[in-house]
Amino acid sequence: MPQVNNWQLGREMGYVYDAKYPARQFAFVFNINRCIACQTCTMACKSTWTFSKGQEHMWWANVETKPYGGYPQSWDAKILRMLEEANPGEQRWSEQASADGGQPYGQYEGQTIYEAAERALTPDSARVLGYLPTDEEWNSPNIYEDNPVGGRGVRNQLHTTGEQLPTHNTWFFYLARICNHCSYPACLAACPRKAIYKRSEDGIVLIDQEQCRGYRKCVEACPYKKAMYRGNTRTSEKCIACYPRVEGTDPESDGQPMETRCMASCIGQIRMQGLVQLNDDGSWAEDRQNPLYYLVHVAKVALPLYPQLGTQPNGYYIPPRWVPRPYLRQMFGPGVDEAIERYANPDRELLAVLQLFRRSNKIIFRYEFEEGPQVYEGTLRGRPVTLYNDTVIAFGNDGNELFRTTVEEPIHVRPEQHANSI
Amino acid sequence: MPYDEPEPDDPQVLVGVTVPGDAESAREMAGTFADEFARMGFGRSDILALFHDPSYAGAHDALARLGDAEVARLVDESLGVWGHVRHAVEDAPPALGSAADVGLDDSNRFLKVLK
Repeated sequence: MPQVNNWQLGREMGYVYDAKYPARQFAFVFNINRCIACQTCTMACKSTWTFSKGQEHMWWANVETKPYGGYPQSWDAKILRMLEEANPGEQRWSEQASADGGQPYGQYEGQTIYEAAERALTPDSARVLGYLPTDEEWNSPNIYEDNPVGGRGVRNQLHTTGEQLPTHNTWFFYLARICNHCSYPACLAACPRKAIYKRSEDGIVLIDQEQCRGYRKCVEACPYKKAMYRGNTRTSEKCIACYPRVEGTDPESDGQPMETRCMASCIGQIRMQGLVQLNDDGSWAEDRQNPLYYLVHVAKVALPLYPQLGTQPNGYYIPPRWVPRPYLRQMFGPGVDEAIERYANPDRELLAVLQLFRRSNKIIFRYEFEEGPQVYEGTLRGRPVTLYNDTVIAFGNDGNELFRTTVEEPIHVRPEQHANSI
Repeated sequence: MPYDEPEPDDPQVLVGVTVPGDAESAREMAGTFADEFARMGFGRSDILALFHDPSYAGAHDALARLGDAEVARLVDESLGVWGHVRHAVEDAPPALGSAADVGLDDSNRFLKVLK
């Protein structure tokens, strides 16, 4: 099996194909601390891409309640258990992060879904450790989670006071998910038809509908379960990262790269999406003024989802502050403690970059940070807080300014002709 | 979506273990929501409305555990810091000749909306 560099694991790992990387990589950061599960992203995606016959069960974007929810049900618990069974007691991290950034989360000493497959599966069955969810697991997203339901026998109408909401006597948080457009996609690795490809210009992973024969090996292999089978076309489908918007070919984009529908519709302002530059080994090229690079590699507040699976996902999450750390370490790796500490006590640049979220639907390629005078000094829950009248300026792909955000007065400025648009 | 009570032999019924929650994690969650929405420019009544709306189960559950007074204290604590500042967002003017450029002169180009 060819060896490829997985910078999230801090080591090389086996992958089905030789390494090959796009010019730029689609990536995103979700701030879980802000998500209230309004499901606007879910419905934005649904109403754009999966509203047709045969797609009823498909939710390319979804929000699930952790630790007990999942779409399909128990997807993460199941693949983690399979990994554990393949390599009992050995799924560990060294927890020794290197100063030069080469191993930002230490080194993963366990096995990925590719490495475990070499031992756990016969060559003919699959190239990737995975499983095919049952129809029941797909059919009822958010079942018994915190989403309101209607009265008994009443459809299309919710309880206005929410008294039918299930209650769970535990901590929980909302995990918004889309396809991670992984650097080492399991769906791509598993496809016997080579119908799945990763675009060389932006790293978006697509299924060629002409080539697909619906073998569902991608559904089985994707550990995040973001490839889905469509019965009436007998092909598999997946999130396409709203590529016309990312390309800037969408009529609304005015020729500039634009964020996806799920990002643009986020009323909680938890999402930021971008295109990042890569080194020859697939790691992120230093791009200090790119907001995603800053959040992932400088502030280190955004972490990959289940990096131990080995696909090098390009979705990153700012972990929730209130959740027990062992659970978060399992979900986001050993960088959790540092990420939460920095997020709970943000410095002025981090505060400024957080103000870039959802201020524009155009993709931000660069930001500038201008320091202003101190405007407040005090404490919050026992910790010192100092605020400044700082300005952060966002720039698009063409180098032109998109917008600027300044700490000063309560106004929001929009062009007159788009005063009420998102 | 379920419309009936869960049935024990239903294969989709959640089977799992209870992960214990406590007031401290609820307080941290409530404080996080208060911080985040105060940072976004929400006022006191708007943030408290979020906690009182049962459809936002996370915030509402924290309210049920902690009580009105404690949640109001957390919100006031957050607003005591983040309420001191507001963020002004200014879109760049549309490029000349672009689809968004409607030929307004600079004095009329922006609409300012008081929050």
